[in-house]
Amino acid sequence: MSDPQRPSAIGDDLGLGAFVPPDATSDEQGRRHAHPVTPIVHGVAALPFGIAFAFVSLGGVLASIGIGAFLGAVLVVVIIGLLVTGWSYLAWRNLWYWFDDDGDFRVDSGVVTRRQRRLQLSRLQAVDVAQPLFARLFAMAEVTIEVAGTGDSRVRLRYLTLGDARALRSEVLARAAGLGEEAGEAPEAPIVQVPHRDLAVSLLARSVTAGLLLLTVVIFLFTWRIEGWGGLGVMALTGGIPILVVVTEFIRYFGFRVSESPDGLRLRFGLARTETRTVPPGRVQAIEFVEPLLWRRWGWVRVRVNIAGVNRDESGGSRQETLLIPVAPREVAVDLVQRVLPGLDLESLQWHEAPPRARWRAPVQWRRLAVAWDGTILASRRGRITRRLAVMPHARTQSVRVTQGPWERALDLASMHADSTPGPVRVAALHLDAVFARSVADDQAARARLARGTDTSTRWAQSGE
Amino acid sequence: MAADIAFTCAEGWTPVSSRLSTARRITLLLVYVLVAGGVVILLLVPEVPAWVSAVVAAAAVISFVWLWWLIGRRVRSFGYAERDDDLLVTSGILFRRLVIVPYGRMQLVDVKAGPIDRRLGITTVQLHTAAATTDAAIPGLTPQDAVALRDRLARRGEQRSTGL
Repeated sequence: MSDPQRPSAIGDDLGLGAFVPPDATSDEQGRRHAHPVTPIVHGVAALPFGIAFAFVSLGGVLASIGIGAFLGAVLVVVIIGLLVTGWSYLAWRNLWYWFDDDGDFRVDSGVVTRRQRRLQLSRLQAVDVAQPLFARLFAMAEVTIEVAGTGDSRVRLRYLTLGDARALRSEVLARAAGLGEEAGEAPEAPIVQVPHRDLAVSLLARSVTAGLLLLTVVIFLFTWRIEGWGGLGVMALTGGIPILVVVTEFIRYFGFRVSESPDGLRLRFGLARTETRTVPPGRVQAIEFVEPLLWRRWGWVRVRVNIAGVNRDESGGSRQETLLIPVAPREVAVDLVQRVLPGLDLESLQWHEAPPRARWRAPVQWRRLAVAWDGTILASRRGRITRRLAVMPHARTQSVRVTQGPWERALDLASMHADSTPGPVRVAALHLDAVFARSVADDQAARARLARGTDTSTRWAQSGE
Repeated sequence: MAADIAFTCAEGWTPVSSRLSTARRITLLLVYVLVAGGVVILLLVPEVPAWVSAVVAAAAVISFVWLWWLIGRRVRSFGYAERDDDLLVTSGILFRRLVIVPYGRMQLVDVKAGPIDRRLGITTVQLHTAAATTDAAIPGLTPQDAVALRDRLARRGEQRSTGL
């Protein structure tokens, strides 16, 4: 259960939440249900869709008849809400989760088609607790458990009380780390919080965003000058899209906080939907420092990470960005990264740069293109306007590729890629000397093999802390 | 050419069956039957000037011949090599690539064949790792070779398997 002493970072901070008792009903075998209020949450969450549906389908009638049609619309909305509630009641009744005797996490679910799933906790990648907006009204949370695997490797449990959700998360993490089942919720120490102002400024100052906004200003000046108001439509596009992106990301990453716990780094963020994400050390597949041009004056960087299993939705296609931190001064970012990749030393890397003839292939960024490695990691850097520095531990290299396009071939260049699990980070050493690229690739395959033999980071709690 | 050294393999590449060219050329023919239909319609519509139809027809013929020839070269460019600790796959003429997959990183090995492939007796072996970007498919193997390769890969993968 959640500790009342510790300040609750995500919680019923809307102040509207109904009081819900911490009640996970369980049967005699220790199998557990989600919270009984779940169907009602689903029903309430369906109301906006119901209203939109009523609006679209009865829109014309509404305008003509008035109060009668309004009542009809209300009826439609209520019926939709009840249908959803009824369906999710059935789903709730059939949803059971428990830890079996082998230490695996088991989930039985399904109304029409029954599903039985067994998650091997030894392959756990991440456990997230999130509070979608409507769940927050009821002080409820959802728990997402990710294990490594190619297929459908995530389970989402909806909804538990926040306390139950946290308790489940710490139990899953404790079991996965090889500790006993009653390790209790791990204590955590705050490391860094992103100030709201920095977040807003940094989002506005990203290269593409800033470029588009500048373009919008230019278009506006022209439009105003020559009074050709056709430019307004273009402005809506060049100005509207970046502003939309900025606002969306601002809401998503609002109040980004990182704290450290024995389970790993714990990230909390979100305005409308608060999310908690735990990044266990040793589960990070690759990281990238991103440094847009305009951020350099403040020395800011963004850190993106690949975590196996996280960048996938049910269909397997999603490429949602996973961040370690949306914006932070470089030292803070490096410190964070060193907590998930212990022993990382970026200063003493020996960079092998792309040859000068690469300027004919990449006239802007050729000076930045380089690859480096040491005993534990492979690093690549690229990008002149937005600088990118990607790092991948040898033990996380899935495969290595060498590619060569026609233009590269004419210049005797080739690019080397180290493949990681799906995620935003790509480790690519572009436009190196062809023979050198191949030798780096062969060596990287060998380093990956050796590193895997000695890698113990997956059972981090047992490997002597 | 010096650039080729980067895409060689000391152990030598195992080529794939030339029947893969036949399979791909059949697919090409099927596509160009549709293209030919489009050209015929163009010729029959009186509003279209004759020279436009002629240019389109010529473009279709030239691209067909070029692709026909390219398929042969592309198929010859495929090769794989089983080394002690990893599998190498190479392919491509304009855009060349070479993939190194350590055996311990393979998560599953697919053997698959479409209807045309089955008629011609060829099969594709596809390797998957935890990375979606690993693009290691070996098309144009005989079914016996494919199954044998899959079993060898699976055995080596098991011996060298580690977590993620």
